[in-house]
Amino acid sequence: MIEGEPEKITGRFDRSNSPGLMPPSSVVWILALALMVLIVYVSRGLVLLLLVSVTLAYFLNPLVKIAEGAMIKRKVAVAVIYLGIGVGFLVTAYFVFPRLRAEVNTLSGNLPFFSQRFDEAVDAIQSEIVTNYPAADGWFAPREARYEKLNNFIEEQVADLPGLVSHLASVVVAGVLIPFFSYFFLRDSRRIVKFVLDRLPASHIETSVAVWCEIDRTVGRYLRGLAIEGIMVGVSAALGLTILGINYPLLLGVVTGLANVVPYLGPIIGGSAAVLVTLVQFKSLSVVAQVVVLYLCLKLLDVVAIQPLVVGRGNNLHPVLLIASIIVGESALGIVGMIIAVPTITMLQKIASLLLERRRYFFAPAPDSRLNNNVSAQTYVC
Amino acid sequence: MAKWRWLEQITDHEQLVRLKVIENVPLFAGLSRRQLGKLLVKFFEKEYRPGETIFTEGEPGKALFIVLTGSVLICRALHEGEENLATLGAGSYFGELALIDDQPRFASARATEASLLLILYRSDFEDLMEGQRTLAIQVMANLLKTLAGYVRRAQSQRNGRNSGSAALTSTADKPGMPSETVSRD
Repeated sequence: MIEGEPEKITGRFDRSNSPGLMPPSSVVWILALALMVLIVYVSRGLVLLLLVSVTLAYFLNPLVKIAEGAMIKRKVAVAVIYLGIGVGFLVTAYFVFPRLRAEVNTLSGNLPFFSQRFDEAVDAIQSEIVTNYPAADGWFAPREARYEKLNNFIEEQVADLPGLVSHLASVVVAGVLIPFFSYFFLRDSRRIVKFVLDRLPASHIETSVAVWCEIDRTVGRYLRGLAIEGIMVGVSAALGLTILGINYPLLLGVVTGLANVVPYLGPIIGGSAAVLVTLVQFKSLSVVAQVVVLYLCLKLLDVVAIQPLVVGRGNNLHPVLLIASIIVGESALGIVGMIIAVPTITMLQKIASLLLERRRYFFAPAPDSRLNNNVSAQTYVC
Repeated sequence: MAKWRWLEQITDHEQLVRLKVIENVPLFAGLSRRQLGKLLVKFFEKEYRPGETIFTEGEPGKALFIVLTGSVLICRALHEGEENLATLGAGSYFGELALIDDQPRFASARATEASLLLILYRSDFEDLMEGQRTLAIQVMANLLKTLAGYVRRAQSQRNGRNSGSAALTSTADKPGMPSETVSRD
């Protein structure tokens, strides 16, 4: 089309420009999605880094938007937020880290005796059960077999340590790169969106903006909700464990909060860690039961109060689809894959519904008013 | 004096220009500057080349558009050719019904010159309204006034109280529509 020459606006019933079964936009979107999936799979190392950076940017974006609404330059707002985070990190390090470090030090000091203590605890619990229910005597494996299994498990974990240390370097690099990337994502996100929108076909802009908004809303809400939920669950767990007198409450609270971001498995991981510590510390089933009840209450509190409050409306995904997406996410990107599986599948679902809706309207039958020219002059409302 | 210079340094002047434009949009009349600021961050911005279609009649409406610069032609397809309904200049808005539902557009919109448009997607608008009751009431009241204007105009045309040309050129009851820019073929 010549620049400046108006293109002919055709109604939705003129399909001369879109032969085939699907509108061109759908094909383009499907191809773009397929290409995106391929790129993600091929370069998943970098994608992982970028994903975490975008996640961090998402957490901070509401603050930047508040500043933008107050007519403050975006780059100034981002710089101030980063400064605030730096100060907050230092303050946290000053007040919380010494206690957390003390707990980690105590735990690592006790680790050499851990298998022995764990064994003693299991013995104590076995005899407690057998005393109360003599019929249960035959259920347990002999002590030697159990001891061997435990030792093998610990040896396997220790054998993996050199690999863990080599990963430490990439963790440090990631620790530097993630804030760096997220700074630029945060600062330039508006410009990036405008750049993309300006290059999209104008006739598809509404659907494109709709898709972008759904992505932004779904991912932003989910990730921010997840972070707040993790903090609230972690703090509640730390408080509960302190009240019950369990060792390392702060450390276990951090583990519970972090593990909580993994759907379904997270609470089990956090609870198992607390149960293990309780087992070694008290060697009694009654305290273990208290910890289990605490974690069940926490899960209930999370589902009933925290999730509706911070994550908002549910994602309306079928449980089977949800679990399948978590499994696929885990096999593709590990733990991060499990975390991003739910927002990704929700996002894809919304995009598909938007595209299908567009397609439905495209093929919709002509309304009578469309054929009646007398009505057309009444108003230009659109 | 130094204080003002400091404020000047951190103020986003581009955003301020956008704020001035939406401040004068009748749909957002009565909103405080703070509310307008919250609303403004929800907008997307897009440049349109002359002749580029913004949306087509019959497509599901999902967004409200505000003309920042340039001009936009609103028209409907007829059996033969098309009928121009209005030409909107800077500060005008269109597609407001998309904020209510996603029914098909009644008309098409096309940039008649290089134009810069602000786009507000319905879900973003709904999100904002969920947390901002005062803003929601005010905007809904303005939207109702707009709809009442449409109904009255349609009614008066139907009753034949006004002549056809008078009805179409009188745009006083159509918010966001500077009367001098309205034309009809």
